[in-house]
Amino acid sequence: MATIDLAATSVREANELIRNYGAKGEDVDVINPDARHHIGVGLVHDIKVHVQGSAGYFCAGLTDGGRFEIDNNVGWGLADNMLGGSVIVRGNAGAIAAVAIRGADVIVHGNIGSRAGQVMKEGTLLAAGSANFMAGYMMYGGRIIILGESGEKLGQDMTGGNIYVGGKINSLGTDAHQIDLPGDEETSIREFLDRYQVPFTGSFQKVVNAGKKLRYDKIEPRVRNVPFFVASGNSDYWNEKVQEDIHVKSVIGRYRIRGYGATRPLPHLSDIAFKKDISTISADTNVVDKIGLATEIGGRNGGKPISLSMPVMIAPMSYGALSKSTKIALAMASKMSGISENTGEGGMMDKQREVAGQLIYQCLSGRLGWNIHDMQRADGLEIYISQGAKPGLGGQLMAKKVTKEIARIRGIPEGIDLRSPSRHPDVLGADDLVIKIEEFREATGYRVPVSVKLGAGRIRDDIKIAWKDGFDFVELDGLQGSTGAAGNEVLEFVGIPTLSAIQESMDSLDEVGGRGDMPIVLMGGIKDGVDAAKAIALGAHAVAVGTSAIIAGGCIACLQCHVGQCVVGIATQDPEHEKRYDTPAEALHIHKYLESMRWQIAAITDALGHKNVHELGRDDLVALTPEAAEITRLPYAPEYRQSAQPRIREAG
Amino acid sequence: MCGIAGILYKNDPTDSSVGKALISMLDGCQHRGPDSTGFALYHSPKADLLRLRFFVENGAEGEKTITRIKDKLAEFQAEVVEEERIGSTARFTVHFKGDLQKLAYALEHVAKVVSIGESLDIIKDVGSAHDVDDVYAVDDFHGTHGIGHVRLATESDVAPEASHPFWATGFADIAIVHNGQITNYWKMRRRLEKRGFEFNTDNDSELIAVYLADKLSLGEKLTDALKTSIDDMDGTFSFLVSTKDEIGFAKDHLAAKPMVKFENDELIAIASEEVSLNKLFPGEALITSEPPPGSYGTWQRSI
Repeated sequence: MATIDLAATSVREANELIRNYGAKGEDVDVINPDARHHIGVGLVHDIKVHVQGSAGYFCAGLTDGGRFEIDNNVGWGLADNMLGGSVIVRGNAGAIAAVAIRGADVIVHGNIGSRAGQVMKEGTLLAAGSANFMAGYMMYGGRIIILGESGEKLGQDMTGGNIYVGGKINSLGTDAHQIDLPGDEETSIREFLDRYQVPFTGSFQKVVNAGKKLRYDKIEPRVRNVPFFVASGNSDYWNEKVQEDIHVKSVIGRYRIRGYGATRPLPHLSDIAFKKDISTISADTNVVDKIGLATEIGGRNGGKPISLSMPVMIAPMSYGALSKSTKIALAMASKMSGISENTGEGGMMDKQREVAGQLIYQCLSGRLGWNIHDMQRADGLEIYISQGAKPGLGGQLMAKKVTKEIARIRGIPEGIDLRSPSRHPDVLGADDLVIKIEEFREATGYRVPVSVKLGAGRIRDDIKIAWKDGFDFVELDGLQGSTGAAGNEVLEFVGIPTLSAIQESMDSLDEVGGRGDMPIVLMGGIKDGVDAAKAIALGAHAVAVGTSAIIAGGCIACLQCHVGQCVVGIATQDPEHEKRYDTPAEALHIHKYLESMRWQIAAITDALGHKNVHELGRDDLVALTPEAAEITRLPYAPEYRQSAQPRIREAG
Repeated sequence: MCGIAGILYKNDPTDSSVGKALISMLDGCQHRGPDSTGFALYHSPKADLLRLRFFVENGAEGEKTITRIKDKLAEFQAEVVEEERIGSTARFTVHFKGDLQKLAYALEHVAKVVSIGESLDIIKDVGSAHDVDDVYAVDDFHGTHGIGHVRLATESDVAPEASHPFWATGFADIAIVHNGQITNYWKMRRRLEKRGFEFNTDNDSELIAVYLADKLSLGEKLTDALKTSIDDMDGTFSFLVSTKDEIGFAKDHLAAKPMVKFENDELIAIASEEVSLNKLFPGEALITSEPPPGSYGTWQRSI
């Protein structure tokens, strides 16, 4: 038995020691904990960790298999995302006890704070005392046992799982209802109580999901496709897309869901041009070798940076929205081009990890597919706050795509219209976010960058918060960013255009002196190397491509991604449709497209007289429209319109 | 975007080490706000003596401000008995018997007022709890009770005047520390402005302070004012308010911001996180509680 004294050892050192003792199978006593945060985070071995006093936030968070015992109280986020093992708390627990657990036993002898068991998937949370406000909020599975009073709004918007209450049910939340308790479930509860020596002689009431909000009540009728180029036509009035929209709404009586991003014309990178006439650039097969393109990103806090062969990344897109074959093709292409791939919302696949050179692992509000093991094999961790296609809203995955396999990986019931929560259970402000980021760093021994994905909204504030909170970089997504499913009006009208986003983010960083310190990766309608070069000249450190990579890999831009019947096998989970996707061939197409970007970025950099892509700057740019000039404060130079769209031919 | 703390001593009400205790508690939650730190400290009042503190600029510009303050004080027949220039501030003790709100509003127009009160002194500046202590010797402060704040600057600059606690402009001895965001700020502010109140900043914490002070000046009890504040204020908040003999707290209906309290025979302490409370009692396992959503409460000093 080892002893760690937190009066003399930092939590960071202590967690490193605990993990080492874990690997050796040696139990640990933690003395003088004094309610410090993150005790035990990242432990993946079956040892006993005895905390002699109170622990702070995220005690036993992001762990698997440990047996924790805490003699007194714990703060917010007890056992966050715990996969297996157990935690016994002798005192009270703060808010969101057992948040997002996926299989552990969490026992609190005292009371538990609000939103206990939020987005939990599996496992048991037992409170011998009372719960508070919204216990079981948005839970997907597992069980919560409350021996005392339930608190208000019990089971608010729960999707799956069971809640058992021994005391009074103060009130039920939306879409929760009370049913009879089957005898075998009572036996199982009693066994659990006996196992953890919690005496209780009363009876239980059972609360489950009422099933009223799991699916949209009316399905959108099949319509003929109105492809992107028609949808984005010049007239806003009664065009084909508008007519189709009205017809569908007259049947379903609600907003419509579709794929892709804003189709309406917006000020964009195409409204700015390079100050020099580069239409005469000729194909130079060596230009790529002449120009410095290598880009490192994310070393601000001492973690190993992501190393890109050019300032381009694959944007986060989920396995779920996209087929497994598509995700694998993207991972393969990213490796061939020496850039990074991103998991998006749906968790990490073994094959994806294997074929991607560098893989960023994204953590979303629902913690779908999120776990310590994949964190520890990722090259970067990313907290998703929002995305350009639908800022302020969570992801949507329609029932057709929530197959058995997808449901298993995400830890949710099969066949629901999945609407991910719009905000994180444990990030309600910049102050909580600091503690969350530190939890990620503790879990991975501070080895990898931690970034944030932000949909462009209140950029000036958001970027400052990101900088202050110490993120290694920001993936900033403008209004033109696409998605697999979102409300049409949200796609078109919510958010800030990509061009404004990059400008405002630079202004924001300048205000706090953070430019150059925290890189911005710009995304949202980046369609080629020309856009990439403009974005970098405006201050982005790199760009990320999602839609254009998908199109390179065979997408026909029909906007029907949400339906799940993608004819080319990309936005589908149906094996019959996925069969049509030739993974190695499409990987090669995506790779070739990425290489075309490389050549364009290099050729433009060269033509503008620079040796390194990061020498591009605002002095290289002019604005072609008054709007773009207003947004970027670049000189308005309509005379450049003639040469604005250089026909740069692909080398070779 | 911050951390808050408050402490009230029960038994030795006039000479407790309030400064030292708040420094420890705020040091414990400095991770919630590394940019600036502030303290609202309460002494026992002395007859007709007012304590005033102002932000003043460095060097000659500051001297000009001090002259303007003194002229204004003289105009209101406030006789300066003590003055000190320290850190970013100038502190005065004056004999004054007139209308405090009028004096306060007049002073607002010549300088940045930090606080005015018979008991209250607000000390706040950029830096950590220990940084601020190094300049202002908060450690030496002995008194009855106090509240404190650590701030992560997001929407406004890192500047002393953007730090907390906020004084309820125009109302003696009332201060507030707040963690969260009041989303119906402008609506509430316009309502109060229509009734003649002035605001010194655009900070939502000042709004809470003025809102509560207004109710108190109309004869409401603090606990009643806190109760209505929970329904009147929209947003996410956990805040502490202090008056010359009370500390109160309120928490929004969603309990989006943390707060933990501890009480023994000697003191009552409340903070964003238990780690701050444990700073007062290292190595101990404390019996604490977390106020539920939509709750409020007050503690009064037994005088």
